[in-house]
Amino acid sequence: MRAFRASVALVAAAAVVLTSGCSPSASGGDPGKVTLTLGSWRTEDLAMWQDEILPAFEKTHPTIDVKFSPTNTNEYNAAIQSQVDGGTGPDLITCRPYDVNRSWIKKGYFEKLDGKPMLDAFDPLALDPWAGDDGSPYCLPTAAVLAGFFYNKDIFTELNLQVPTTQDEFLSVLKAIKDNGKYAPLAVGSAESWQLAYNGLYSIGPAYWKGEEGRQGLIKGTKKVTDPDFVAAFSAFDAWKPYLPKGSASLKYSDMTQLFALGKAAILPDGSWDINQVAVGNLNVGVFGPPAATTGGERYVQEMPDMAIGVSAASKHKAEAETFLAWTATPEFLSLYVNKLPGFFSMGKEPVTYTNKLAQEFADLKQGAKLTPRLGLDRLSAGTPPFDDEVWRVLQLMYTKDLSPQDATAELQKGLSAWYAPQQQK
Amino acid sequence: MRRAHYRYFLAFTLPALAVYVLFAALPLLNSMYYSLFDTDGDVARFVGLDNYHYLFTNPTTSERFWNALVNNLEFFAIHLLVEVPLGLLLAALLTSGRLRRSTGLYRTLLFIPTTLSVVIVGFIWRLIINPLWGLVDYPLLGTETTALPTISLMSVWQYVGIPMIFLYAALLAVPSDVLEAARVEGAGGWTTFWRIKFPLIAPQFGLIAILTYIWTFNGFDLVFALNGSAPGPNYSTDILGTLFYRTFFGSSGQLADLDLGATVASVIFLIILVITGAYFGLLHRRLKSYEL
Repeated sequence: MRAFRASVALVAAAAVVLTSGCSPSASGGDPGKVTLTLGSWRTEDLAMWQDEILPAFEKTHPTIDVKFSPTNTNEYNAAIQSQVDGGTGPDLITCRPYDVNRSWIKKGYFEKLDGKPMLDAFDPLALDPWAGDDGSPYCLPTAAVLAGFFYNKDIFTELNLQVPTTQDEFLSVLKAIKDNGKYAPLAVGSAESWQLAYNGLYSIGPAYWKGEEGRQGLIKGTKKVTDPDFVAAFSAFDAWKPYLPKGSASLKYSDMTQLFALGKAAILPDGSWDINQVAVGNLNVGVFGPPAATTGGERYVQEMPDMAIGVSAASKHKAEAETFLAWTATPEFLSLYVNKLPGFFSMGKEPVTYTNKLAQEFADLKQGAKLTPRLGLDRLSAGTPPFDDEVWRVLQLMYTKDLSPQDATAELQKGLSAWYAPQQQK
Repeated sequence: MRRAHYRYFLAFTLPALAVYVLFAALPLLNSMYYSLFDTDGDVARFVGLDNYHYLFTNPTTSERFWNALVNNLEFFAIHLLVEVPLGLLLAALLTSGRLRRSTGLYRTLLFIPTTLSVVIVGFIWRLIINPLWGLVDYPLLGTETTALPTISLMSVWQYVGIPMIFLYAALLAVPSDVLEAARVEGAGGWTTFWRIKFPLIAPQFGLIAILTYIWTFNGFDLVFALNGSAPGPNYSTDILGTLFYRTFFGSSGQLADLDLGATVASVIFLIILVITGAYFGLLHRRLKSYEL
């Protein structure tokens, strides 16, 4: 009966509190052997860790036994917080990027990694999402996801089109497909607003706001969302509008992927994680990067840090935990991990070879391009209204209710100025 | 003897009571308790009603709250105005005798959607009204004006069986001698229904209305299954349940805020408590059935 659901939400809320307090990190077993637990939100990766990755580690480190113990992604943050606050919790904690992790660092969840040799495998930009306010790194990057465009090579051949490298070329390709009339130019729907931001604006926008320069400018308060660079980025996103498929206002992400996978749409702006869903059957798929703003302009690629691992300050086996962490910085681990999970990419300096063809094409996009993470997730969303959520909302309104790029950016700036101190000064 | 009876009573209700207290009453009190604290820092700090003050005065949170409340009222109104009359119609048809021996079959068929998972209901309907592969050309879920009514009607489709079964049972309970007397007096089907059956089942509507109120103000699952935790477009399908979820657990771009989430939960509870209390205190007792 539905009547019983009267307090389901509250029960669920309490269940998190009740259950999370009592899952201790089991240790012990045979003497001389140390058991470490690795907390994660990727329940879907359990088999991969147990059968492939951890055996590879334990082969070379027979005295350390690592146990992968994931929690559902929605409950992960709350679970880790109540476990660590209650004095238990895993020895190795998988770190969320940016603000969540920064609050964990403040609460003293992690061991500092300053000066450890394992850091040498990564660029400072790769370590930044997991650094504390003092700039010290606390977690070691595991993987990132990239954004780009899947395209149907057969449609491009049939219509005699070239892969676009600038925004103008991109728009003329879209126009040519639309004029031909046989295929939908862009598989984009606006029912799910997150992907308008993550795979749309945050992918093509950095070419206009110049990647890190614009992003850090917003964070430091030296730039505003209403600056011409940002408005130009929103306008570039707005320019896709004539090429959206029929009924796009209620098309979901899965509809978009299907539209493309069925060969009915030529181009799908997407994230690298979708590789396996897109490359089905004998669809001839290729990947191209976000177009440059002008001919010969700088290329930017969105590399979104996804996960890292840190050593829990409450762990009883810190030395062993660090040994494991150092192993995750080796090419052996990184290439094992990203090849088991096509669509995830190593953030290490050392290039990794990807056996998946599309994954390799995605990785190649990084060559000669400047990298930048998603615009709205670092610091700008740690208040009310969260900048990222607001971006989703205004982008959806641009496509469904003709909100102009000027009004959209003005609204975002207003939201940011309402609470974000660096944006309140002038 | 009477004392033993009392002891049995206690022994048999205790398990259910324990489950209820542990999983419903305590969490409820606990979340009210949380709503009086600020847990964002290292130690929880007692802040009195500050969280409530923030919820209703911060321009963003209060806008979202009122928006969700208004949407929830619309969600409730559509249920009340469509689901209940539809349930009455179906119950009347089921008891009219026109269906003869297939009454049981129709009763089962009409009740089946109620037992389906909302995820399945949401998925099926989303496919049916999908502008790419479905029957409707118009993006019903994509525009602010149509999205919430569309979701409400999906929910009506699913749960129409519940008022139907209530009213069906009430209609069956109408004594047949009264109906026979009416027939002898020359009353037709229409007159019999409106002059005899309807007044006899009328008290059921109060109960159905208040249950619908409780269900819709605790509503969450269908909206979440269809539109996630920041239900668009432009929060036009955001109801109190999704607002609570987003506040308490966070969404992709929003950090989880435990005490503000607990505050939202407590406000939802109060909204339901006040109306339900008023109903049972003031109205329910006056809804008397006709003495026969």
